[in-house]
Amino acid sequence: MIDAASTSDSGSGFGVAAARPALSVRGFTKTYEGGFTAVDGLDLDIPDGAFFGLLGPNGAGKTTLIGAICNLVRPTAGEIEVFGHAHDAREARRLVGLAEQDINLDRFLTVSEVLIYHAGFFGMGRAHARRRAAELMDVFDLSAKAKVRPTALSGGMRRRLLFARALMHEPRLLILDEPTAGVDVELRSELWEYTRRLHQAGTTILLTTHYLEEAEALCEEIALIRGGRIIARDTADGLRAQYDADDIAGVYLQAMQSDAAAGNAVPA
Amino acid sequence: MTPPVEGTVAAVLPGGLRDPDAPFVEDRRGLLWLCEREIVRFMKLWMQTLIAPVMSSLLFIVVFGLALGDNIADVDGVPYKQFIVPGLVVQAILTAAYSNNSSTVFQARSDRFLNDVLSSPLRWWEVNIGLAIGGVVRGLLTGILLLILGMAITGVGVQQPLVLIVATVLVLIAFAQLGVIAGIYAKSWDFMAFVTSLVILPLSFLGGIFYSVDRLPAGWEVVSHVNPVFYLVQAFRIGFVGQGDVATWLALLVLLTLAVGLSAWCAWLFKTGHRLKP
Repeated sequence: MIDAASTSDSGSGFGVAAARPALSVRGFTKTYEGGFTAVDGLDLDIPDGAFFGLLGPNGAGKTTLIGAICNLVRPTAGEIEVFGHAHDAREARRLVGLAEQDINLDRFLTVSEVLIYHAGFFGMGRAHARRRAAELMDVFDLSAKAKVRPTALSGGMRRRLLFARALMHEPRLLILDEPTAGVDVELRSELWEYTRRLHQAGTTILLTTHYLEEAEALCEEIALIRGGRIIARDTADGLRAQYDADDIAGVYLQAMQSDAAAGNAVPA
Repeated sequence: MTPPVEGTVAAVLPGGLRDPDAPFVEDRRGLLWLCEREIVRFMKLWMQTLIAPVMSSLLFIVVFGLALGDNIADVDGVPYKQFIVPGLVVQAILTAAYSNNSSTVFQARSDRFLNDVLSSPLRWWEVNIGLAIGGVVRGLLTGILLLILGMAITGVGVQQPLVLIVATVLVLIAFAQLGVIAGIYAKSWDFMAFVTSLVILPLSFLGGIFYSVDRLPAGWEVVSHVNPVFYLVQAFRIGFVGQGDVATWLALLVLLTLAVGLSAWCAWLFKTGHRLKP
């Protein structure tokens, strides 16, 4: 059972309220080789401490945006700042934790080594990294598998390890790209609970998901993205009121259809 | 709650949050961790990555040097069993450095584990060095093992140690970087096997490991001189037996040019993110 209490202080006086947003994106454009423009002039601010959901269909530009924030995609144009630092600066990099949609674990290392070396890439000392890895393996119920390679883990355990790895260097902005894709109901519930507690402790969270109920249950604010543009943004209540919908699924369908009807083509 | 004193931890505010304005401090350099990871990777497979190539080269020394060498005339006064050792050592070193790095980089790209490195605070040149170091260390260990065994079996000595050291460093740099470049450009394991089997291996064997190009017909001698591996073999041969088919300065100059050129190519790839980041 995942117990977030052992790694977070559950919101007890985490201190400085930064005036700057956790994430600031201005005019971000990404055109891939071959001419496909995935994102065109996107602006986005996510306040420090927010739990922010980004919803959109496949190809909407979510993963491209996340890749650019995390220094994995080269922006064609625009500026991206993380807590006021250019996104590719070392000061920004150490503040961001990423759990990617795909399971991208190092097959040559054991579970504990995956965590320790990740922390090392972020400059953590060995003793600290070992302590932190032991703590997170305990939290994510991976201690019994510490000496096992990721390839020998079940799908759910790999997902937990991916989540734990993203937290190893104590990021202030945690980006979760479809973290519960392919996860069973029980683990999804545990991950939700852990994510909530991280947020309560002050971590800013950017979540992308195709599970609309997940975004509604977790996120303080939700943005809908289509064709590389933000087409709606508000709280779940605000979006429901704006679109006169019963739930976020209704909001989502209406927003996408309205945007298409307005003649806003998906970039090709 | 009092924040711990270690550098990276000190940047964490009470309650577990990082101070976004704290300067980036490393308790241990990320570069060292990446270097360690690359060495750990091949050491976990030591039978495959170290023992197998050493045994393979050793078989050439035993079969061609000891079993057949007595029936082959000395080459420029050097017993044949000793004549072939430098070429076999350099071939083992360059193959180890190249294959290690091409496979580690391609695997990291293929599994997308490389994203974990590229999204970290490591600088572009640290990522380059970190990924290349595995091939350097593996090539060096392979070379040292073969050197010891080759000296023990054939009695070959090291006549010009400085030349041998400089040549070893340059070969390691050049082929470690070539391996990284191949790993970055490769689209399949077939490509990697193609380069190893149909480019590096033929160039090695045609580079004068088993013969002196002086004994080749005039046309083939010219062909040998456009093969870069020929100069590697010559540099090592000068280091071991004190003589080669070209001047020492020329052999080392070609090596230096290769090392600098391939390092510059690699640096460009990492600095721009070309083929690493879409």
